[in-house]
Amino acid sequence: MAETGVPFRLNGHLHLIGSCYESGQTYLRERSFRAPLHLSKPHEDAGALVVNMVNPTAGIFDGDIIELRAEAESGASLVLTTPSASRVYRSRSGGPAKVKQTFRVQSDGFLEFYPEPFIPQAGARYQQKTELHVAPGGRLLYFDWLSPGRVASGEVFQYAELIWDMDVWTDGKLAARERYRLSPEDHSLDSLRRLYPQGHYLGCFFLGAQELPVAELEALNSPEVYLGHGPLSSGGFSIKVLCQDSLSARRTLQRLRTILYRGMQRQVPTLGRHL
Amino acid sequence: MLPEWLPWLLQVNDSQFPSGAYAHSMGLEELVQRGVVKKPEDLEAFLQHQIIPSLLAFELPYLIQAHALAGQGDTAGLRALDEELDAWKLAAELRQASRQLGSRRLSLIQKLDADPALAAYAASGAPCHHLIACALELRRLPVAAAACAFSLQTLSGYAISAMKLMRLGQERCQFIIHGSMAILAPQINVLVESPTERIGWFNPLLEIASMRHARANERLFIS
Repeated sequence: MAETGVPFRLNGHLHLIGSCYESGQTYLRERSFRAPLHLSKPHEDAGALVVNMVNPTAGIFDGDIIELRAEAESGASLVLTTPSASRVYRSRSGGPAKVKQTFRVQSDGFLEFYPEPFIPQAGARYQQKTELHVAPGGRLLYFDWLSPGRVASGEVFQYAELIWDMDVWTDGKLAARERYRLSPEDHSLDSLRRLYPQGHYLGCFFLGAQELPVAELEALNSPEVYLGHGPLSSGGFSIKVLCQDSLSARRTLQRLRTILYRGMQRQVPTLGRHL
Repeated sequence: MLPEWLPWLLQVNDSQFPSGAYAHSMGLEELVQRGVVKKPEDLEAFLQHQIIPSLLAFELPYLIQAHALAGQGDTAGLRALDEELDAWKLAAELRQASRQLGSRRLSLIQKLDADPALAAYAASGAPCHHLIACALELRRLPVAAAACAFSLQTLSGYAISAMKLMRLGQERCQFIIHGSMAILAPQINVLVESPTERIGWFNPLLEIASMRHARANERLFIS
């Protein structure tokens, strides 16, 4: 806090463009970041450049505005991940933190976004806008992991408000649109906690793929995991999962990632951390 | 004085109107099989806590927009909303069901209503989602009446399909529909008078249920 008692607000960004040498190796043609975001040193694995996006502060606070833009150009393979959970803290001002993220993949490019869980703490207010754009021949693998809060501290679905906007564009055509507001004030959390009172939600868009490894995906279902999948209206697939707790969510996400990579006949890049 | 539109509304909103809705549970069949909705009390809670909020936050605001465009004869605007609905409906089976119901409804009403705009829309290759077909069908009604009719179709569709999925008699089914409409109807007026700018609702449970129903080995309903 500043001396006046007014909370610091951060206006941060991360802009990345992954490009491809003639050798086929991916490099970052452009990178720009500002606090609270930072990059760890990227590493190459399984033909992809793995970039860990780090927030060295405690997390995201109300008033913070963060913009994330990542693009894989033709031939580039970029994996963007986070080494730890993203926390959003109680809103002190009554206003939200805002994150806008845009992911683009050009023809023959590949981009994966694989974050650790998003943990909205009690009283948190947060708005997230996400756009995914994939050109013909490009592939994009996008994951979301929404936790119910700090469950170990007894905070389950106690955030004040989450506003979530998602637009998915394939070849310039709107393929998926989601808009929702989650709040304990109304019935918006019912479907998240009806099956599992402390349920975690996993969302995945698998774009540019021609088919899904259906049998393997179906095998992920269990008493702890409720998973569905299907084609979008104009290319690509959506996978949605409700999980009983964080352990089943982590296990499912890891397996899901492996299955989808296998479906693309690609090796799975390691993320540079033990999970 | 009998409103001019009332006989039309009674006909097209009749449960015997052959829209094909009887063949769809819109994801409810899987939720019953999964044990999420097992008895009439669960159905009541499902309608009141998941379907009515969805109507208020998504379908009805969308219908209000579509109804205005249909009333103005703005076919291009209606087509844009229709195509956008394809993107909103992530679960393929729900998307397809909505298109089937809409196309079937539009196919019949264009025979009953001589307005060439209806036939032109049906032939245009538009997705013809159920909501858009209803907006066209009910375009001469006051918007609140159109929203009320669409809501009743939605709620009774779930309740009537539930009679084939659980121990639920006709009388109890009607009580559940009546109770749900009693909750919803006053909020329709509010929605019409102050349309919400932000449209959207999140129901991953129903979406997953629909996605799983599409792959079920045994099923009674198309969706």
